[in-house]
Amino acid sequence: METTTTPAPATAALTVRGLRKSFGGRTVLTGFDLDVAPGEVVALLGANGSGKSTALKCVVGLVRPDEGRAGVHGADLLDGTRAAARARTRVAMVFQQIHLVRRRSALDNVCAGALGRLPITRSWSPAAFPRALREEAMGCLDRVGLAGRAHERVGALSGGQQQRVALARALCQRAEVLLADEPVSALDPSAAENVMAVMTDLARTENLAVAAVLHQPELARRHADRLVGLRDGRIAFAAPTAAVTADQVSALYVVDQEVPA
Amino acid sequence: MSALAPEPAPRRLPVPRRRRDPRTLATGAAVLAVLAALHVAAWIGAEMDLGMLAEGWHGMVRFVSEAVPPDLAWDPVVKDGLKACLVTLWIGLLGTTLSIPFTIALSVLGSRATNGNAAVYQAARGVLSFLRAVPDVVFALVFVTAVGLGPFAGVLALVCNNTGVMGKLWAEAMEEVDDGPAQALRIAGARRTQLVAHAVLPACLPQLVGLVLYRLDVNVRASLVLGLVGAGGIGFLINQSIQEFRFDQMLTYILMVLVLVVAVDVLSSLVRRRLAP
Repeated sequence: METTTTPAPATAALTVRGLRKSFGGRTVLTGFDLDVAPGEVVALLGANGSGKSTALKCVVGLVRPDEGRAGVHGADLLDGTRAAARARTRVAMVFQQIHLVRRRSALDNVCAGALGRLPITRSWSPAAFPRALREEAMGCLDRVGLAGRAHERVGALSGGQQQRVALARALCQRAEVLLADEPVSALDPSAAENVMAVMTDLARTENLAVAAVLHQPELARRHADRLVGLRDGRIAFAAPTAAVTADQVSALYVVDQEVPA
Repeated sequence: MSALAPEPAPRRLPVPRRRRDPRTLATGAAVLAVLAALHVAAWIGAEMDLGMLAEGWHGMVRFVSEAVPPDLAWDPVVKDGLKACLVTLWIGLLGTTLSIPFTIALSVLGSRATNGNAAVYQAARGVLSFLRAVPDVVFALVFVTAVGLGPFAGVLALVCNNTGVMGKLWAEAMEEVDDGPAQALRIAGARRTQLVAHAVLPACLPQLVGLVLYRLDVNVRASLVLGLVGAGGIGFLINQSIQEFRFDQMLTYILMVLVLVVAVDVLSSLVRRRLAP
């Protein structure tokens, strides 16, 4: 099943059209389209090297795509202007490696999500953060069930708790779109389930548009509204979760001779 | 199964021949040859002569026998020595602490993790290299011409030298920080100064403090040498006692230096161990 380029639905928070990226002559992503509505959870599935993570990295500007556009509620993210840089702060990202500052407290890490809207006089140190921000960050920590651990060092928290702190940081960023690059791959099954539940709950209650790269199809089926399958850099299917068959999913992971190790 | 059954022999496979690239061997031999040649050249260049050492060892014995036993008279030897040791310690302490602001500025500008501007980066690295290239004794002589003989000139010299060395060490510590957290904050819209304050510095703070303590240890020993050129402290007394041929006093001062250096070393490594992440 192939998708064709379609105009963005008026309701989409995140719109991606025609992304193409190659590294050293090898095309890792081509013709990638994606729409995510507010409150919707979309899971990207695919084998290693299928281009899932590259797609997310293009959207936040970590990787520069060869072609294609991405926007949040119509505001362009990739045209290289100041407006695009500003629009990118409406997109938050969480990572498999979590990427929090381990020596700082959970609260300070969550506050750091707001750096993009703080002047340097109020952000040269955690001691300078405005009181209103610290209170907002407490609210974000409470949303992920960690208000009681606010002053603990992030390094002392479990992997699942750390990923929830990262989600709280995304909330404190006041993001409208949340991209998650294998957010639960490093977690044990129950922590993974818990983090996915928190993430889908945030999508519903905070109207976040969530796009998550996942490595466990079963987890994706339980939590995502729609599944997008990638194979060799192309979209193999994109459909509501219930409409995707098990055969379609397992076909993503079939190794053929050409796939490099 | 019978207990008498012979134990099955473990399965064995021939070890495949490991292919060695002949070029690796040739490179190894060439490196060894160059190293050997360098050491021969160094032996000649440094005028090494074991025969002279064997003939002249009586001179050393006479020198040492004049120094033993050390002069342990309280006044003026031990009392003045203690005072001078304290001055040496103060020079090392201030030389380290006062260099920290300059070190922060130059290491942040001279680290790829915190500065993306290539021209400023190269300039900062250049300043650091210059400060390291000039020996601290030369800095001391320069400052002596401005503020006269004494500990003050020693402190100023150490500040210059320590900024060069510690700036380089700090910049490297910052470059070794995992850039993931900084990347995450950049995506959230953080600017470069904010990345330094909220991702890079908190991640490497223990290393930076450890380097300060290590440098304190080194600087106390350096301030001793500065004393030899007139910057005060115990080094000055050692120099004086040599000029007056009072080798017994010299030995007293050297023993005091030994205690001071070991004490600072023990203290700083104790703190550094507690800091280890």
